[in-house]
Order: sequence, then C-alpha cells, then structure tokens
Amino acid sequence: MLLQLNNIFKWVNNGGNTTFLLKDINLTVEEGEFISIMGPSGSGKTTLLNVIGMLDGFNEGEYHFLEKSVHQLREKHRSALYKEYIGFVFQAYHLIDELTVYENIETPLLYKKFKTAERKALVADMLDRFHIVGKKDLFPEQLSGGQQQLVGIARALVSRPKLILADEPTGNLNSRQGEEIMDLFKKLNEEGVTVIQVTHSEKNAAYGSRVIELLDGRNVTP
Amino acid sequence: MIRNYLKIAWRNLWKNKGYSLLNIGGLAIGMAAAILILLMVRQERSMDMFHHKKDRLYIAGNQSEFDGETATWFATPKPLAPALKEEFPEIVHTARYTSNSDFLLRSKDRKNTVRSAFIDPEFLEMFDFPLLEGDPDHLFDHPDNIVLTASTAKKLFGTDRQLAGKTVKIDSTDYATVTGVLRDLPENTQFRFEAILPWSYMEKLGWSDDFWGNNSVATFIELAPAASPGQVGEKIRDITIRRSNHEESNEVILHGIPDWWLRSRYENGKIAGGRIEMVRLFTLIACFILFIACINFMNLSTARSEKRAREVGVRKVSGAGRHALIGQFLGESVLMAFLSGILATGIVILGLPYFNTLLSHPLHPGIDDPSLWVFLAGIILATGILAGAYPAFFLSSFNPARVLKGSLKGNRGNFNPRKILVITQFTIAIVLIVSTIVIHRQIAYAQDRENGYDRNNLIYVMEQGDIPKRAHLIKDELLRRNIAQSVSRAGSPVTEAWSNGWGMEWKGKKEGDKTIFDRYYGDEDLVATLGLTLVEGRDFDLSEFPTDSTAMLLNEAAVKAMGFKNPIGQIVKDNDVDWHVVGVVKDFIIRSPYDPIVPMIIGGSGGWFNALHIRFNPSLNTATALSLTREVFEKYNPDYPFFYHFVDEAYARKFEDSRRKGKLAALFAFLTIFISCLGLFGLAAYMAENRTKEIGVRKVLGASVSSIAGLLSKEFILLVLAACAIAFPIAYWAMSRFLQDFDYRISLGWDVFAIAGTGAVVLALATVSFQAVRAATANPVKSLKTE
Repeated sequence: MLLQLNNIFKWVNNGGNTTFLLKDINLTVEEGEFISIMGPSGSGKTTLLNVIGMLDGFNEGEYHFLEKSVHQLREKHRSALYKEYIGFVFQAYHLIDELTVYENIETPLLYKKFKTAERKALVADMLDRFHIVGKKDLFPEQLSGGQQQLVGIARALVSRPKLILADEPTGNLNSRQGEEIMDLFKKLNEEGVTVIQVTHSEKNAAYGSRVIELLDGRNVTP
Repeated sequence: MIRNYLKIAWRNLWKNKGYSLLNIGGLAIGMAAAILILLMVRQERSMDMFHHKKDRLYIAGNQSEFDGETATWFATPKPLAPALKEEFPEIVHTARYTSNSDFLLRSKDRKNTVRSAFIDPEFLEMFDFPLLEGDPDHLFDHPDNIVLTASTAKKLFGTDRQLAGKTVKIDSTDYATVTGVLRDLPENTQFRFEAILPWSYMEKLGWSDDFWGNNSVATFIELAPAASPGQVGEKIRDITIRRSNHEESNEVILHGIPDWWLRSRYENGKIAGGRIEMVRLFTLIACFILFIACINFMNLSTARSEKRAREVGVRKVSGAGRHALIGQFLGESVLMAFLSGILATGIVILGLPYFNTLLSHPLHPGIDDPSLWVFLAGIILATGILAGAYPAFFLSSFNPARVLKGSLKGNRGNFNPRKILVITQFTIAIVLIVSTIVIHRQIAYAQDRENGYDRNNLIYVMEQGDIPKRAHLIKDELLRRNIAQSVSRAGSPVTEAWSNGWGMEWKGKKEGDKTIFDRYYGDEDLVATLGLTLVEGRDFDLSEFPTDSTAMLLNEAAVKAMGFKNPIGQIVKDNDVDWHVVGVVKDFIIRSPYDPIVPMIIGGSGGWFNALHIRFNPSLNTATALSLTREVFEKYNPDYPFFYHFVDEAYARKFEDSRRKGKLAALFAFLTIFISCLGLFGLAAYMAENRTKEIGVRKVLGASVSSIAGLLSKEFILLVLAACAIAFPIAYWAMSRFLQDFDYRISLGWDVFAIAGTGAVVLALATVSFQAVRAATANPVKSLKTE
C-alpha cells in the first residue's frame, strides 16, 4: 500500500457559510496503480490532488503515506516526505522562465543535495530518455507546449519519485501532443511509477487502471 | 546551488532592465549619500583619537559663576601647567599650547607666513605627532630651535629631508635653527600648526607671563597610568585660587581628550553635549536616506511578487524549504546591493570634492585604508539584508497550491505594507523639505539684518611687522594720494570681537552688576572709516581734542545698559583708565548676526590696535585701489607680504556655517525626494500594469482618459497627503528647536508647510501621472485580449 485516505474532510468558512471542498473521502492507492480523478469543474479534483501531494492541508480525517501518518507530521517532515517520493506535473507546465531546460530539470536535485556529478548524470539521463538533449540550453519560451510539458515531466521524474501527481497534464496541449504525453505516462506506469492524474477527458482516463469520480467534494465512484 | 541562484538573479535583472536600473540606481544614490555622511561621521568621531595615550590625556578647563550659572571654558593661565606638574605626582606631563601666531618664516630664498604654535617640549611626548627627522630628546634645547611640518619645510626649502641645522629667519627679528621635521598633521586633529616653537622662545619674546588672571593658553595634562582622574580632578580644583592668593576665583577641571571634540559644551558645570549632537543627527539622516532607498527596493520587489510567485511555487513543489528560498531572495538583494555599492563608490568618488565644500573639515579617505573597504562591505551587506529581508520573507511565504493555481492575482491586500512604506518615505522627505526652507529663510533673514556699518569698499590689514610703528605714515600717504577716503586703526577687525569683560565702573553702576561689555578700540576717524552712524556726540579727533587718546564711544546698547540719560561727558573706568565718553553710535553687529547686540565700549587711541581699516576712495575701482594700497604697504612694511581682507567677505563668512547647514539640508532633501519619486515611479508602473484589465473594462464602458489617469493618481496623492499629516508636526517640533539656537530668528509660519506639502504633492503627481496617462491611453482591445 502506497497511501491511504480515511474520512478526509476539508472546508472553508465564507462569511457565515461553511463550504465543503472535500467530504468524507476514503481512498487507498497501491503501488503501481494508474488512477484518474474525474468530475465537473469545482468538484474538488485539484484539491484532492493537492491534499495527496501534501501541498494543502485538510480539516479532518487521516492520511497515511508509506506507513507514516501525514496528519500528525510537522510541516518540515511532511515536505521532506513529498520531496522524497512525489513528483508534480501541472497543466500550465510551470517551468521557471529564467532557467534553461537543463537547469529546470536540475532544480529538484539541488534541493535534495545531490553532488554535481550525480546531478549531471541524472539530468543527462532524463534528457536522453525524452529525446530533448538538443534543447537543453533553450529557455521555456523557446519551446512548444508539448515540449514544455515533456520538460515538466522530466523535472518531476528526475529525482525518481514513487508517485507522480499530474493536474490535467494535457489540458493546454493539442490532441497529438496530448496523446504523446499520455503514452509517456502509460510507459512510466509500466516501469513501476504510481500515477494519479486529474482529467476531464474520458479518453485520457482510459489510460489509467482505475477512475475516481468526484461530485461536490464527494467520492461518487460507482 | 549558489550558482543557480546567481544565475536566476542575474537573468531576472537582465530581463527587467528598466526596473533593475530603477532599483540599483535608487539604492546606489542612497548608499552614496549614506557613505559620504558616514565617512564624515567617522572623521568626526576619530578627532584626536589617534593619540595612543588619549585615555590619560586631558585639557584643563576653567569654571566660574556668572549670573548664577557656572560657565566653563578652556583657556587657562600660563603658570598653570608648570604648577600642576610640580604639585601632583599623579601628573606625569603637562604642556602649554597656543597657536595664535602667524610668523613670517624665511629661508635663504623663500618666505612664507606660517601658523606657529608655542609648546612646552613635553607636548610631543604626550601627543602622537611623529617626527620624520630629528632627535626627539633634543628638539628644543635652545629657545631659538624650531620644528617644521613636512609641507612647511617643502615651502621653505623645497624638501623635507636633511634639514637639521638649517636656519630660518622669524619675522625680521630672530634666527632659529631647524631641529626636526614633523609629518603633516592629519585632518582629524584639532591642533592646527605648521611649525612649533618652544615656550622658552615665547618667554624670550616677552609674551609669556605668570599672571593667574590671564586665561589665554591651552593646558594639556597627562596622568600616570594608575592615577584616578576623579581624585586628581578634585585635588587640582582650587589650584588657581590657592596660587593666586585668592585674587582669582576660577576652579580648574579636567576634560578628557576623547571628549574634547565631540562633548565640550558645558551647561552649568556639567558636560551637556556638543558636536556629538550634530554627529548623531547626521548618522540618523544617513540611516534615513539608506532606509528610504531600501524601501524602494522592498516596494518594487513585493510589487513584482506576482511575477515571482510562480517560481516560488515551483521551487517549493520541487522540494525547496523556506530557508532555501529566503536564502535565495536575500542573496539576490545582496547581489543588487553589491552592484549598487559599486555604482555608489563611483558616485562617492565623483561627489566627494563637492561634498567637501560643505564641510568644515574636508574628507580625504585613503583607498589604501582597509577599514574603508570593510566599512563599504558592511554597508553593502547591511543594505542587502535590510532591503531584502521583507521581500524574502514575503515571497517565501507563498502557498504553492495557491500560487500555482494563479489565485494570487489582483490581491489588493498586498498593497497595504507598501502604502505604509510610501508614507514613511514621503514623511521623511517632507520633514527635510521643511527644514531646508526654514534654514534658508533664517539665513536670508539674518543677512538682511541691518549690520550698522558700511561693509562695502572697506578692507582691513592685520598690523604685522612695521605697520604699528608706521601706521600714521601709511595713513598719511593713503589719504594724500587719494587712494583712501578714510583710514583708522582698530583693536580687532570690525567682524571680530576679541575682548570683553564686566569690570568697568561708571557713575550709577548698580551693586553686583555683572553685565558683560564688548571692548573695542579705535583710532581717529573710526566712525567715518567704518561708516558707523553717530547718534550723539562726535568721532575721535586727536588734532582738535588732544585728550582724545582716552576718549570713548558707546553703542546704544551700552548707553542703555549703563543707564545714562546724558552719556556725553560721562566717565567710564576700565583697566585703571578713566575714559570720557564723547559720542554714541548706533548698534552694529560685530559678533554673530544671529545674536542680540552686546553693549560695547570703544576706547580711543590709548588702547591697543591690531587691524588697520581702510575705506577706499569710491571714485577708484577696487582693483586700482588695491594695487595702489599694496604699493604703499610694500614701501612701509617691505618684509611682509601684503595681506588684506574685504570686510564684506569677512562678514559673509559669518554665514558660512549656517549656509553649509542649509546646503546640506537641501542636498539631503533633494536626495530623499528624488529617491522617493524613483520608487513611486516604479510602483506606479506596476500598479498600472496590474490594473490593465480594469482600465480596459472601464474604457470600454466609456471612461475618459482623464478620469482613468485621475483614478490611478488619486491613490498615491492620498498617500502623500497622509505623509504631510505625519510630517508637519515632526518638522514643526524639529524646526522650533533649531530656531531656538538663534536669538535673531524668523517665526515659523504656516506658509512653509504649505510650500513643502504642495511641492511634495506636485512632484508625486508628476511622477505618477506619467504612468497613469500611459496606462489610460492604451488601446483597451489589446489589454483585454491579453487576459
């Protein structure tokens, strides 16, 4: 078991009203799964993904990640945990504009105190694997959307996470680029990386092994 | 890691060249100003601190009671130094010092007027003035030995080496042997001399005396290392009283050399401050200017935070901890500060000559001084951290989940700390503007004050060499050849009061009256020469009235102080002479134009004279009159170069100090307002950029350009108005205190504040409206498409 959510609630107080973002979510994810979270706008998909990614907290419930109780951890240990095991991929790629492709991919390694030689090897690996060696000195604005997302995924993968969280990774791409990215996720999953993606598209969801459907913060998977 | 940060910082700088320039430029100007001020503060604080015995060195002071208040001054009787050393074993060295004499020194082929000090030989053992040449134990074996400073030696001999045994002629009377050469005095000492002569020479000249009532020289004291200054101070207190057999009543005190420059204002017998107050004020101003520049940096950084937010989010998601991010942003601001520091150093080097014209002691920072570089590095680091801390904590606090979703946009709440920063900037700027206006008005007010005599076309020549003997010949020739309209000798230049006292006697003087009178002397034609106004009686006139050598003129203040109904014919006794009053002149300013007029007695030719005053013939032009006068002086006083002073220039020098203050205040005010406007400019640009969409929508809905420009400007103007509200009371308080130092002063009118406030608002408006108009005239279609 990779992670387990038990009775997770998250809400915000807006004036006198309490709005629930997540309501009683229970979810167990095994290693090697490929899960798609689906649902209409505002149903809590991204919130759930952020909770799993430990970028966002929750108000009630329990969260276990690799036998550790995330809800009892301090901020410092929590960030150490996601630093170690989780990679993020975003719809808008979120590359750092001032850094080259190479440097963008290298960034997570810098925060994990890898040695220079190791970093070089790991980044070179990624560049090789995604066939972007020739683009390593370009800046994000010089790349197409698909290429930017490739860099985004390379960055997420470079520190060898167990889990990839992808928030609509193909949302800004055309269908051909989207397919390429989904194929890549599929391949990664087959190599043993657990993937959780948020998506609107049935077609993309079909790449996964399981679909979670959310509606108004509630798990309504049939 | 560091390289990665530097790269990002550099690329960010490069990408936003305009803002980087604004940021670095503003910071550099602020730093340059702070560096200049702190250099000056450093020099002030280092005054005479280089003597390695400084903590055991003291200057003796006198204290005496006048009008119920204890006055303290540092001129002491000549016998004090030897007496102290003789009586107290705790006192290891004493030295007298006086440097009021300008001697004409001559080598074989050159001559120069040299400011010379008389000292007791122990002086050089107490203070650190290193010898370049000479045997320290045998410098002053004879009264006719002399020690020169290096530059004096160069002026006289063309070199400062191998001069021992050379002869110089002092004035036209004596020969002295050079026994040593001193390194030139540093800028940071209060001692001012170009040559030193032993006290024994002063005795030989007959200038020394053993009178305990003549307070005219400085006495320096070195205590034994183990001696307690408190105990010694108690023991020496009554030495003047004892030694003068109770003829004198002054008590002697010790004043530490480390306090000599900065803390020598006494109030009622206790140290009450001194220049240290000015030094503190300037340190404060330096901090303010630097702080204002840092505020710009903070404002621009946080204003740009929306652009950096995504980077923060990505880095956090990539595993960056808060510390790493704070480190990154601080590193960036230190880099900025470093670039600014380089620029600031350039500005300092270029600006130093101008800045020095505003200082009484010019700065000469040596680039070989390592402490200077440490100081510069310190300023850079301090600025970087001060400027970067707030943005660093602010930026690193972003929640990645939120910023990556993009919900930080349009968060108006962020603007609040920035508003406070802008208000702070403008508050300081407005206080400085008010100060500048008040100081300038005060100067102008005193300049316009009726000075009571005609200072144009009037010169004075100090009576050196043969002038006293031949004054009447010089006068005759000047008048005969029609060079001068009128000539008169006087006790001191008409711009300087050299003597005062309270011991005069007159008919009807009240018991215990200790009114202090200025004491002046004048020869024939004094009133005519100076252009004084006679209120009653007549000028000095020896040819008509032979007894006029003991005649006296009074000023109106003196008539009032003495209570005379009919002053003419009254007898005033001073220094055992009975002076008879022959005239009354209108009050005239001899001391500071800011001070009230002191009652003055003007003795006739029976007094002593030091300055010859010459009123030129008005039909000659000044250059001709001067060259003809020079001829006359070279004829009668051939050994001395002809030195003269224009009275109007000497009078103008009375304003030098306050004019310097005025210029400094104006400079600081300008810098503050300039830096503040730079910041406002950048901020307005960002505001306009961030509200592009709002502006577009408003325009589509039919808003006019002017209404939008007004909308954008209004916010900033409100900030400046708030700053006015805070600044005015502070400025009022500060300026009231400043004006209290002047007896003759302006009153603080509301118009000063109106001018300063309007000025600040207009400047801010001009700065902001440029951006506002640009934003308002942009095509809405474009701005809406980008969203």
